Amino acid sequence: MKKILNLLLLTLLSLTTFAQGESGTNDFFKSNLKIYVVVAVLTIILSCIFIFLFFIERRLKKLEEK
Amino acid sequence: MNWLYSKWWKWLSVVLLTYVVAGSFFVKLGPGITSVTPVAMYTDTVTTFQITCYHSHFNSDKAGKVQMWFKNQSKYYAPLSFKVTGNETAEASFAVSSLQQDSFKPASIDVVINDELDGTFALRDAITLVKATAVDSSSTGLLTPTEPEVKHNKHQLVCYPYREILYETIRNTFFHVPMWFAMTMLLFASLIASISFLINPQTKYDTVAHQAVVVALLFGVCGYLTGLIWSKYTWYIGVSWGDVIRKLLLEDIKMAAALVAMFFYFAYLIIHSSIEDKTKRAKVAAVYNVFAFVIFILCVFVLPRLTDSMHPGNGGNPAFSKYDLDSTLRMFFYPAVIGWILLGFWILSVCIRLQFIQQKRES
Repeated sequence: MKKILNLLLLTLLSLTTFAQGESGTNDFFKSNLKIYVVVAVLTIILSCIFIFLFFIERRLKKLEEK
Repeated sequence: MNWLYSKWWKWLSVVLLTYVVAGSFFVKLGPGITSVTPVAMYTDTVTTFQITCYHSHFNSDKAGKVQMWFKNQSKYYAPLSFKVTGNETAEASFAVSSLQQDSFKPASIDVVINDELDGTFALRDAITLVKATAVDSSSTGLLTPTEPEVKHNKHQLVCYPYREILYETIRNTFFHVPMWFAMTMLLFASLIASISFLINPQTKYDTVAHQAVVVALLFGVCGYLTGLIWSKYTWYIGVSWGDVIRKLLLEDIKMAAALVAMFFYFAYLIIHSSIEDKTKRAKVAAVYNVFAFVIFILCVFVLPRLTDSMHPGNGGNPAFSKYDLDSTLRMFFYPAVIGWILLGFWILSVCIRLQFIQQKRES
């Protein structure tokens, strides 16, 4: 479980690399009529829900082990 | 509480959200003008402009006659020449006499295009008029404003409105906005459960109220984070992350009020976990929950109406007027709201059932 959570957190770390590119004149998020903002929004929502699901699963696992 | 175990509404949320996500991917943005070059023109000189559009159909059979105007203030001027060079490109020339330059105030000119299929669309402040310092009295070709005659202003396509600044991010309407709807509905469910507990003290009502707040906060956090990134690239373009957060908290009343409301519910979770005695805990939490909901309603629905906010529909006007949502957006927005709310209740039902098993084991 811990491994999966760590993996998820590390994947989320890749999001910070998007932000690093923004200082340049060609902002990735502003290209193609800002479609990547929508991609980012969907990624945020999905990752929040997935993290929540992992927490539910952890609770379930504790119940199973009892 | 049979709704926890019935399946049809869970399937409904799957169907609705699949439809919404597919719609948000496959429906194109409506016709709009992406660029007009050159961006400046001098008086007494004929300038030819290259107009590039997005998702327009100039060469289509249904387009009919493609018309184009230069607009300053509320006056429309016909171009000297206008030629369609492709489905999404056109060429137009225009000149302003220095005798007339003072009537162009402010000195920015909009470009407006109409055809029968794409309707009317425009690029505001597309061209800047550079005024001459000395008026050439011999210049000819004085412009007279025309009255545009169009068949229809509304486009005949299935597409999202092309808005400057927003562009493709208008699709976030199906993801960011329903987060708050889902949060509100979950908190309302929590309120109902708390009131039920006060009327009829059973532990199951306390469980429902507590879990509903947890899931509602999940949606609240999603709504907040998505709003943060959306505003960074639309309202606060070119502003650093630190300033975006500062502006959102200090300048946008809706964001600040939503954060305050969410803190009240975080306090609910703390109260719920800090009292050991189960019946006492349930009673205190239920009473607190009723007050928290009132504060939530005040913060999210009343406070933002009192003052101006960057959010559409605030500062006195009800949200989602006919200008904010067009028919294509509505086609996906209402299913999105229902779909996300149902998904929230689905997650809630899993949490509650898990809690029930835990309580059964403990007793």
